[in-house]
Amino acid sequence: MLAAAGRAAAAPIPERGYGLPLDASADGHRIDSLIQFTTIATTVIFVVAGAVLVYALVRHRRGHPAAYQPGNKASIGLLVGFVAVVAVAVDGYLFAHTLADMERVFWNFSAVEKQPDTVRIEVQAHQWAWAARYPGADGRFNTRDDVVTLNDIRVPVDAPVLVQLASVDVIHSFNLPNFRVKRDAVPGEITKLTFQARREGEFEISCAQHCGPNHYKMRGVLTVLAPAQFREWLANAGELARVAYDPEDAEAHWGWGWRPE
Amino acid sequence: MINMQAEMEAAQPIHAPPTSFWRKYVFSIDHKVIAKQFLWAGLLFLFVGGVLAMLIRWQWAFPYREVPLLGGLLEGGRIGPATYQQIFTTHGLIMIFFAVTPVLIGTFGNLLIPLMIGARDMAFPKLNMYSFWTFVLSQLLVLASFLAPIGTAGAGWTSYAPLSTNVGTPGMGQTLVVAAIFVTGVASTMGAVNYITTVIRLRAPGMTWMRLPLTVWGLWLTAILNALFVPVLGSAALLLLLDRSFGTHFFMPAAVAARGGGDPILWQHLFWIFGHPEVYIMILPTFGILGDVLSFFARKPHHWYRGTVWALIVITVLSAMVYGHHMFVTGMSPLLGEGFMLFTLLISIPSMIVVLNWILTVWNGSIRFDTPMLFALGTVFLFGIGGLTGLYLGDISMDLYLHDTLFVVGHFHFTMAAGSLVGAFTGLYFWFPKMFGKRLDERLGKAHFWFTFLGLLLVFGGQLLAGYAGQQRRLFDPFQNPVYQGLAGLNRWTSFFAFALFAGQFFFIVNFFRTVFSKRIQPAGQNPWHVTTLEWTDSASPPPFHNFDRIPLVVRGPHEFSNPEVQRLTGRDFAGQAEVLPGQGEPAVSAGRA
Repeated sequence: MLAAAGRAAAAPIPERGYGLPLDASADGHRIDSLIQFTTIATTVIFVVAGAVLVYALVRHRRGHPAAYQPGNKASIGLLVGFVAVVAVAVDGYLFAHTLADMERVFWNFSAVEKQPDTVRIEVQAHQWAWAARYPGADGRFNTRDDVVTLNDIRVPVDAPVLVQLASVDVIHSFNLPNFRVKRDAVPGEITKLTFQARREGEFEISCAQHCGPNHYKMRGVLTVLAPAQFREWLANAGELARVAYDPEDAEAHWGWGWRPE
Repeated sequence: MINMQAEMEAAQPIHAPPTSFWRKYVFSIDHKVIAKQFLWAGLLFLFVGGVLAMLIRWQWAFPYREVPLLGGLLEGGRIGPATYQQIFTTHGLIMIFFAVTPVLIGTFGNLLIPLMIGARDMAFPKLNMYSFWTFVLSQLLVLASFLAPIGTAGAGWTSYAPLSTNVGTPGMGQTLVVAAIFVTGVASTMGAVNYITTVIRLRAPGMTWMRLPLTVWGLWLTAILNALFVPVLGSAALLLLLDRSFGTHFFMPAAVAARGGGDPILWQHLFWIFGHPEVYIMILPTFGILGDVLSFFARKPHHWYRGTVWALIVITVLSAMVYGHHMFVTGMSPLLGEGFMLFTLLISIPSMIVVLNWILTVWNGSIRFDTPMLFALGTVFLFGIGGLTGLYLGDISMDLYLHDTLFVVGHFHFTMAAGSLVGAFTGLYFWFPKMFGKRLDERLGKAHFWFTFLGLLLVFGGQLLAGYAGQQRRLFDPFQNPVYQGLAGLNRWTSFFAFALFAGQFFFIVNFFRTVFSKRIQPAGQNPWHVTTLEWTDSASPPPFHNFDRIPLVVRGPHEFSNPEVQRLTGRDFAGQAEVLPGQGEPAVSAGRA
């Protein structure tokens, strides 16, 4: 039973039905737990308020005489108390947790920048594809040994990944549902996104921002590999890139110098 | 008090009604006629927007299949990717700017503000006429855009640059639609100035701020937001027009245009500085209408009226400080994003106060389940879902995953389509006798309610589920992506519910036309719902050209229901706002005090 569940969870792209998609990231659980918390909280609020309303609708019908009550201290106090409890318990909880998540993880690019094993990727979005660039062996972008791929991004498992995004035409949005992150690619700007894969497999990259008639086709595959496999792939691809390098082809040199934090 | 009444009489003398056809029905300056004009114009576009919605649902249920009935309007009888983006773009724009806004604000603002505050017309009746005909011009621009050579606008209702510039959407269609947004902004601004002035200057003597019906509060606060923020949208639309037609680069960076130096994010700031107040512009009138109607049909004073008024004011102020939550994933500064999140979470506090006050108003009432009340209660439930799902999206962490999914679409339809539109239906069923002198049929009205309520619940509930599972919005064919194939059944069922929802609107169409044009339906009488506000107690149905023979002298708040003292003196369970109770003579209430 557990093994079957494990196998199902590890399937490359699960043909999923309802519910959140498979979480393949190290930090997605933070978002999932907030979603779970919010679902419980809003359900409780809706059921409590809805039950009071439905009870009133059934009980206080035409035959029932109306009370002349524009609100008194008790009823206003009850209302304010309910609102205060929700504001502190729900809004406060969400605010505190999200602040921590953002500062420590999802928007903490400087910490990822400092880590030694960070994988850096430049992604250039255009109608309707994602081009990705790895720095190759020299560690510098826009040089001879850069590995450039189209709609095919590979990363090692358990290593932080830092993506810098650009666009050449309209706004796109780099969306990794299985990693619970997305970030717009805005022409004229470099935006950033970070994530860390927790399990190997193939995952969806999609464009989340309407970007023209073929927006629905703008997709890619994110492949999470074992570290050794990743290194091997990158080294081979780097060799091939060096051979195929054409200094005349200006179009191919779209990379930019990495923008540190 | 008597002096004030004489002053108001002198300031608003009775004019003879116009006699020529053009002055009476077309270029009328009578706020009640203009309200009806907005109603017709809005309902017509509501139908167009609804048809476009059905096309979107058809595409999600049966992608690539020939469209029944409307296939003749489409190339090859099917929806293609380019057509699809035009359909969802114009659906959003038409519904927001050209359907819900004219019905909710144009109709009820014009009809109710003078009648509920005891005025003979708007402060600027001619400006009111200009506002309507400017609005018609903007509607014509939208219709013209459908005839443009390569089709109408396709950049989404938000018109994000550079997609909305010539780089992403060339052609006359998008230009005409951007022009239409500018022109409709001019119309809204004219209306807003008029509403604000009218409420400040023309309240009848004794109609203090804390005696205003909540409907007027909602419409007045809406007008303030309109006056402040619609001009921002107008400026943005004008800059975009310059980018499109005159080669400027306000929104085009060097990356996409040779001489560009503009900023695409600037468009988003300008758009959402307007855009988030806009969602409150569309919900505040509904809040007001519900506050009154729930009290009227529960035969009980509104619970904690002052609390609701202050909550509405706080919502109005905060609504201008939350717009950044639409831009969490654009790469904005973390501090800025977190600030916007804080204000977004804070706005839930006054919103909860408003909703809980509705529930406590109904509590211990003597509830009448007439059609307007059913719609009002339906709005409470649907808006409740819309408000609570907003909690997920106002939070940055969850928005990272949910942004641009159908969850967002479901959420804002629960607030804007379900909340605003069903709120507008509440008002329409309730004030129809005042507008046309006859009541809409109850049986057809109730059938319309159940189709609408259940339909909206199922359609937008389905969208929430699909979005929760990760389905992105605005996809021409979601199911070419294997990840979403498991959701095909859900999408198809949601579409079936949407078709039923649309079909259910025919109950309303039949009811509306039959009641307006039939000669056999009995007149409703002056005050068919037995309620307290001036338009019912002091004016006929429909009101004469000058509204009130004498400017009323207001002596009490808008929700005087089930007061035992009133019951003893009059034998009724309500007392009108300007009613002098038998044996009480001149009321001992000083002007300017509640």
